[in-house]
Amino acid sequence: MATLYKTAKSEYQDVDDVLEEREKRSDIKQRILMVASRGVTFRQRHLMNDLEVLLPHSKKESKVEAKQDIDLLNELAEIQNCNNVFYFEARKHQDLYLWIARAPSGPSVKFHVQNIHTMDELKMTGNCLRGSRPVLSFDSNFDSEPHLQLLKEIFTQTFGVPKGARKSKPFFDHVFTFSIVDGRIWFRNFQVVEKDAQTGGDMAKNAKPTLVEIGPRFVLNTIRIFEGSFGGPTLYENPRYISPNVVRAAVLAQKATKYASRVASTQDREARARANPLPTDPLKDVFE
Amino acid sequence: MSDDEHMYDESMMEDEETALEIAALQSEDLLPQPKKVFINHKAALRALVDELSQKSLKWIQRCDVTSTEPIVVDKTENDLDRELKFYQQGLEAVIQAQAEVKKAGVPFSRPDDYFAEMVKSDAHMARIRQKLLDQQKGIQNSEEAKKQRELRKYGKKIEQEKLREREDQKKASLDKIATIKKRLRSGDLGEVDDFEIDVDSDDGGSGGRAKGVRGKKGKDGKMMPNKKRQVKNEKFGFGGKKR
Repeated sequence: MATLYKTAKSEYQDVDDVLEEREKRSDIKQRILMVASRGVTFRQRHLMNDLEVLLPHSKKESKVEAKQDIDLLNELAEIQNCNNVFYFEARKHQDLYLWIARAPSGPSVKFHVQNIHTMDELKMTGNCLRGSRPVLSFDSNFDSEPHLQLLKEIFTQTFGVPKGARKSKPFFDHVFTFSIVDGRIWFRNFQVVEKDAQTGGDMAKNAKPTLVEIGPRFVLNTIRIFEGSFGGPTLYENPRYISPNVVRAAVLAQKATKYASRVASTQDREARARANPLPTDPLKDVFE
Repeated sequence: MSDDEHMYDESMMEDEETALEIAALQSEDLLPQPKKVFINHKAALRALVDELSQKSLKWIQRCDVTSTEPIVVDKTENDLDRELKFYQQGLEAVIQAQAEVKKAGVPFSRPDDYFAEMVKSDAHMARIRQKLLDQQKGIQNSEEAKKQRELRKYGKKIEQEKLREREDQKKASLDKIATIKKRLRSGDLGEVDDFEIDVDSDDGGSGGRAKGVRGKKGKDGKMMPNKKRQVKNEKFGFGGKKR
């Protein structure tokens, strides 16, 4: 019996060794849950739809109520068997915040999304296969800071389509570029064209491919990185982030001070005129 | 009266303000405000990166390429420069990815006969194409209109030059004829006919008319100007009528 057990155990061990050599299935498998809050504008909704089309390993959910249901998001992800969540939170029917979270326990990041251009815009002339795997291109600025390295890792695991994903297609059609300019992350999606630009036929052997923009385009401004999913202790806070509410309030305050400063300046002028009276003109009475 | 009161109030306020300032400077209760510290747990972040990184995966599973040069844009508002840098980053990544994909033995380019659903529908692409065509047509139309305008101006210039040339020629030939007549009248028979103009065929000019138009011939055989011209010549010619 013992020998039987030993041989059985040794067989198991062999299988385990083989499994370790192969890539971990949990590492390969990534699924994204895409959720929006109520109050998204049409442009933000189109952005979400564009991302859903571009990422075949994503699953869209119905809208959630913004403040109450954040706790439910982790549960939703578990139900749908997704390990990443993209939560598009709209505030005041104007600002869009994007949460990228790793569902069970992983880190989450909150971004403020700006400069949204969707794929529908007629200036974006490129096209690609639905579900083809993208090439991810990162700026080398991402290696300079630990929080940027974390963001790079998160982007690779969410925006990168896993190899055997169900709706994915085999060829490499397009490239996602993430660049850091002005402390923000700029996202672009380009189609790789390997045909000759003029003739439309095949390229010469060593000619470079051309890139045509497909869309969408947006800019992400990091707000905070949390240790847990949708909460938990803050690991990183962006010092350059200014909330859009603060910006709007500052603009209004500036407008308000316009009147007050005008009144103050007229009072100053009157005081100055009184303090420095004009000297009397000796020739005043010459011409009568 | 009211002005004086106003001034009195203001000066009172200024005194109060300076008094407050002095009091504030002297008080020891005022603590310096703490500088706002922004959280950045670098160690924890690095640990997380290590934990998340998929070391076991081969490159082909992730397909991420990092650029060799960091992107530096002096002004974010400079759209052309910024987009160009993004384009270059993408291009460099694609070229590197092609090499890596080839190494992994996976096909990179889509063959021509592979038809599958695309991200943008055919109708959408048709609209894009139509817009591009419209733009091109607009450019062509404006270029043509510009060319036409230029031609018209050019044509006008040429017309004016031709007219001037004709007038000059006419004047020159009339002058030649006048000089020959003078020489004949002054009686130089031995002079070489430099101009080789046949005197007999002289018809006295056309009397101020265009090339093909004929008019009446007077007593000398010269062309007579028409009635209207004659009246005007008498009225205004050679300094006008003598008063």
